[in-house]
Amino acid sequence: MKSLHFSALSSAVVLALVIGANNAQAVGVAAGTPINNTATVDFTVGTVTSTASSNTTSVTVAEILDVVVTAPTLLQTPVAPGTNGQVLRFRLDNLGNGPEAFRLILDNAIGGDNFDPVAASPSIYMETGSCVAPGAGVFDGTDVPVVPGSEPVLNADECRYVFVVNNIPSSVVDGNTGRSTLTAEARTGSGTQGQVFAGQGVGGTDAVVGVTLADDVAQGEYLVQGVTVTAVKTQAVVDTLGGNRPLPRATITYSIAVNAVGTGTATGSAFTDNIPAGTTYVTGSLTLNGTPLSDAADLDAGVYEAAPVARVRVSLGNLTQAGGTQTIQFAVTID
Amino acid sequence: MIKGTHKYLAAAALIACSFGSQAFAQGAQGCIVLKSIAEVAKEVVDAKGVKTVTMVVADKVVPGVEVTWTVTANNVCKQPSEKVTINNAVPAHMTYVASSAFGAGSDITFSLDGAKFGTPDQLTVQENGATRAALAAEYKHIRWVFKDSLQPGSTAVARFRAVLN
Repeated sequence: MKSLHFSALSSAVVLALVIGANNAQAVGVAAGTPINNTATVDFTVGTVTSTASSNTTSVTVAEILDVVVTAPTLLQTPVAPGTNGQVLRFRLDNLGNGPEAFRLILDNAIGGDNFDPVAASPSIYMETGSCVAPGAGVFDGTDVPVVPGSEPVLNADECRYVFVVNNIPSSVVDGNTGRSTLTAEARTGSGTQGQVFAGQGVGGTDAVVGVTLADDVAQGEYLVQGVTVTAVKTQAVVDTLGGNRPLPRATITYSIAVNAVGTGTATGSAFTDNIPAGTTYVTGSLTLNGTPLSDAADLDAGVYEAAPVARVRVSLGNLTQAGGTQTIQFAVTID
Repeated sequence: MIKGTHKYLAAAALIACSFGSQAFAQGAQGCIVLKSIAEVAKEVVDAKGVKTVTMVVADKVVPGVEVTWTVTANNVCKQPSEKVTINNAVPAHMTYVASSAFGAGSDITFSLDGAKFGTPDQLTVQENGATRAALAAEYKHIRWVFKDSLQPGSTAVARFRAVLN
């Protein structure tokens, strides 16, 4: 009678399983795996010892549907007005325990910003390899446009980079922001935690919505920046006779004034200048805003490189208009 | 009418058969019928919104779900069985839940390797040259040794829980 009671309920188990511990991080045992158990018993009757085995219970691992979308690493992606093909890089993680495709939805009509980016056509690309593969995450010609209904399948625990491509309207002005969100939903289904899609998991097992509710959304933001970096180079010649003529062994001191003009920040700026032919760099002559920079490649911002091309390089970092003029100086002698 | 008689006879034969096997089992073999059942907790909300948790047969489970196994040993012979010992390995891909093994009237021991059994305080693991107590999650085998003899018609119950990895 007891076993009847259980078998009557066994069909109900698919309706709502009580999900145990939070398992958002762990992918878990692969969907479709059978979990078998057989007990044995040893006993003695009179003087005879015997062994018996139980039936084998078999539980199948159901497919759990879990997905995470991660926003671009850059909080704001700098763009210029009227530029096409501006990329936001998202990351898609299949946290489930079975292979799953995810519907990807781009939304550019997001509140709290100044303009709506315009989706390019196509607007969503996916990298073909894992996001942890060497060199992953670069938007190039190898990325494949995502076709709705034919999204790539990600294996359990696999991650891919997804590139959202938008055009920036020409009407925007410096300081404007424009937001895009990328939503991913498990193709099998999403909804409330514990919701079951009977028979739709790997190998006909059930698919169950996990703690992420099998969908996720992340936001990227464009920032219109009209910053231009200018460099003005001047020179002063001092010859060995006390004059200003470019004679052999005369010294030429170059001054380069670097300015950022406009709004925003020019990140990672660097200045490079080749030593003119027929001249030789004066050792130790490199300065930034009057402060000497050693010629060696070391902790300070400057370096003189003799090869392959004789040149000076100065890292200027992030430049803003408010930061004012950066003045670089170095000297050469005429051979 | 003849058909009905046949039915009756068939049923009688079945009963006789089962008695027969029971009688045959007096030699110990087959004296204990061992059954295993896997169940999960299912939350049911009634019309009044009251939640109750019932156990239902585990069919398909997702990682993180706790499964309860109940093993019953039923003495179908006319003589008592002595030294009834139930062994159950923690199933593959599952992690034993600490303190979940239960069996009225039994001494419960565990094993990491299936050879050396002991109580939790007796089980140790060598790690980085040091000895430490084994964690419940490392138990791979469970053994219930029932202290009293199992009387004819009686059932001994062993139970444990494990979480799907």
